[in-house]
Amino acid sequence: MADLGKLTLAIALILAIYSIAANLYGARRGAPAFVASARHALWAMCAMVTIAVVALWNGLLTSDFSLEYVAAYSSSTLPTPYKFTALWGGQQGSLLFWTWLLLIFSSIAAFQNRRRNPEIAPYAMMVLAGVAIFFLAMLNFVTRPFDLMSPIPAQGQDLNPLLQNYWMAIHPPSLYTGYVSATVPFAFGAAALMTGKLDDTWIRTTRRWAIFSWFFLTLGNLFGARWAYEVLGWGGYWAWDPVENAAFMPWLVMTAYLHSVMIQERKDMLKVWNLALIGLAFSLTIFGTFITRSGVISSVHSFTQSGLGPYFLVFLAAVVAGYAGLIWFRARELRSPAEFESYLSREAAFLFNNLVLIGIAFAVFWGTIFPVLSEAVRGVKITVGPPFFNSVNGPLALALVFLMGVGPLIAWRRTSADKLVRSFAAPIALGVATALAALIGGIRAWYVLTAFSLSGFVLGTVIVEFHRGVNARRHLVAESAPRALVNLVSKNNRRYGGYIIHLGVLIAFAGIVGSSFFKTEVKRSVREGESFSIGPYQLRYLGMSAVDTPHLLSATARLEVVRDGREAVTMEPAKLVYKRQEQPATIVAIRSTPLADLYVVLAGIDDTNRATFEVFLTPLVWWLWAGGVLMAIGTVVAMWPNVRERAAIAAALSRARAGELGAEPAPGGD
Amino acid sequence: MRFRLRFVIGVGLIVAALTYLITTAIRNTSEYYLTVSEVSARAAQLQSQPLRVAGRVKPDTINWEPSTLTLKFEMVPIPETTPEGVKPVAASDPVSFKVTCVGQPKPDMFAAGRDVIVEGRLDSHGGIAASQVLTSCPSKYEPKKGQ
Repeated sequence: MADLGKLTLAIALILAIYSIAANLYGARRGAPAFVASARHALWAMCAMVTIAVVALWNGLLTSDFSLEYVAAYSSSTLPTPYKFTALWGGQQGSLLFWTWLLLIFSSIAAFQNRRRNPEIAPYAMMVLAGVAIFFLAMLNFVTRPFDLMSPIPAQGQDLNPLLQNYWMAIHPPSLYTGYVSATVPFAFGAAALMTGKLDDTWIRTTRRWAIFSWFFLTLGNLFGARWAYEVLGWGGYWAWDPVENAAFMPWLVMTAYLHSVMIQERKDMLKVWNLALIGLAFSLTIFGTFITRSGVISSVHSFTQSGLGPYFLVFLAAVVAGYAGLIWFRARELRSPAEFESYLSREAAFLFNNLVLIGIAFAVFWGTIFPVLSEAVRGVKITVGPPFFNSVNGPLALALVFLMGVGPLIAWRRTSADKLVRSFAAPIALGVATALAALIGGIRAWYVLTAFSLSGFVLGTVIVEFHRGVNARRHLVAESAPRALVNLVSKNNRRYGGYIIHLGVLIAFAGIVGSSFFKTEVKRSVREGESFSIGPYQLRYLGMSAVDTPHLLSATARLEVVRDGREAVTMEPAKLVYKRQEQPATIVAIRSTPLADLYVVLAGIDDTNRATFEVFLTPLVWWLWAGGVLMAIGTVVAMWPNVRERAAIAAALSRARAGELGAEPAPGGD
Repeated sequence: MRFRLRFVIGVGLIVAALTYLITTAIRNTSEYYLTVSEVSARAAQLQSQPLRVAGRVKPDTINWEPSTLTLKFEMVPIPETTPEGVKPVAASDPVSFKVTCVGQPKPDMFAAGRDVIVEGRLDSHGGIAASQVLTSCPSKYEPKKGQ
């Protein structure tokens, strides 16, 4: 199996080089046969890497410890689902998985564009194959997944216990999917620059790819936060660790991109900005891998530090320099005739939203690399922790939420003051009412008041938008209100899906603010039968039970939890020791309600009848996950193939055929 | 054209606000990230500064008092790694710090010989009063070759 894996990876690398050469020749000389051959080579690469992935999976599932990777990240006692997820448990496997996703997405993009976009598609395929060459070269020469062990160990070292978790099984694939699918719009952007076909074809062709990428980046970040919350046992879900920041920055840039492309589609403006954003998003995915793998920036979750860093840095430098050079080369052609006319226009609101998003991304970037910079410049390593990120991003988040409310309600080009008052009266009233309610509820922190008030305001704007749309439909086609709502969303799914996402962001934002400002914590070491309290809860330690299996040893504490003297439940936080790696892990007990989460950690077992507990009461953290679910739903709505759009394209095509107008170009939308 | 100028001013204001936010936040929240040897070399200048210190837990110095959640141990420099692996901690290592951390549970991974990051300030006895002890959590293990 190892030989098969090595062989297929080598063939894939050769095919990638061939694919680029054939595409280049075919596109330059106008030889479609060569372009088709290059496409087939891409598909063959995908098949080769699929075989390699199956070979590694086979090694993991059959516990073939002659493979170094299997011996290092699996064991015969590892539960089968985790043998499967061990594919991305280590560096070589992660990179193989990454390459596999890249080739699957490239193959799909190649299929979608087999007849469409004959001018730029070959160049986009060249970029995709070029990125694949980098990863395949890593897999063939630098970090090989099919290296053998000698002598063959009797047992593997097991997957890290922290990764033996449901969320960890789905978090890396989501994030990788988000990272890797951003390569497709990047490739088309680069192709537009190479060919000089600089209209919005590249944006329209890859619109759904960009939303797809954003969807998985969102899920990946949320799953990671959820994993940190449930598994790491420190009561929080986000620590501004470099590894987390590496996943957050591409999400911010993709969010900015999805908004700013609308301005280009509508107003033919911001061409350079959009090209730069997609280049930045792609570079940040490579940068993220660089930070996590190079060990240049010390992280609490240090990944395997390896010699991979310099290769990624060189690749990143080449991508940034090459892409920036292309933009420079086309600068004259990229100038836009249109200009901003007023601050009170939707394009201005979108532009400022972009600036704030990029500002947040920059602050996160700066804080992440600050230790390295300060060491280089001043000779002393200075770190900034969560307080830095919170104090910079807190105000920026408020600005962003404000713009999220303003943008959708004001018109393109310019808005009259009169219209402005009519649109915003109700939302402002809701914002003020929310602030008053929060004041009466006893909240005094200015940030929280502002945040809740702005959330109320934006909620108001979303309601106004839906209300307007439903009313318009009811007047036009005399529908009942629920039917009008369904039709409104399904016929304008991109727009109203976007509003559903906004709603999700608001709810998540409220959850983040609530859980950051009102978290309380109690740490106590107690004997059996003793109790202590946090907020309205009384916790009594009942005792400990232990379980011993060949795979792990566990100790589970039982606590009786009583709220306000009623509704007693039992909570069972536990500690596990995985035998293979002698590493302890924590199983947190969480009692989640929309108002607050009770989060109990068994922090230590001190002697026979004494245990230390760390208990957090975190308000509104449930809202973060609920908002995340709503964001996901909204994204699916926005991505859903639009029936009307399809019908319009089909009608245009049949009209063209009926009128024998010859080869009218097919509309570029996907 | 006049509007274009006003627009540039607006964008400039946002960039200025961002710069202000970042520089003040850096000034107010930065901590020195030092090794045990660096701290001992400049102990005088570092009094009452917020610090993050990386070091290794010295064996046989751990004292954990669960009823008061008090963890005391000594910290020594992390030895340089050599191609053959990591050198053992020398028993007579001259540089070491007493670390006292009150009010935090003992981390899962905390043990003699483990690498830790201690957040806190220097106290008057030349030790470190820690607000938090973080264990470097090797979320991915490097395979030990030839094992």
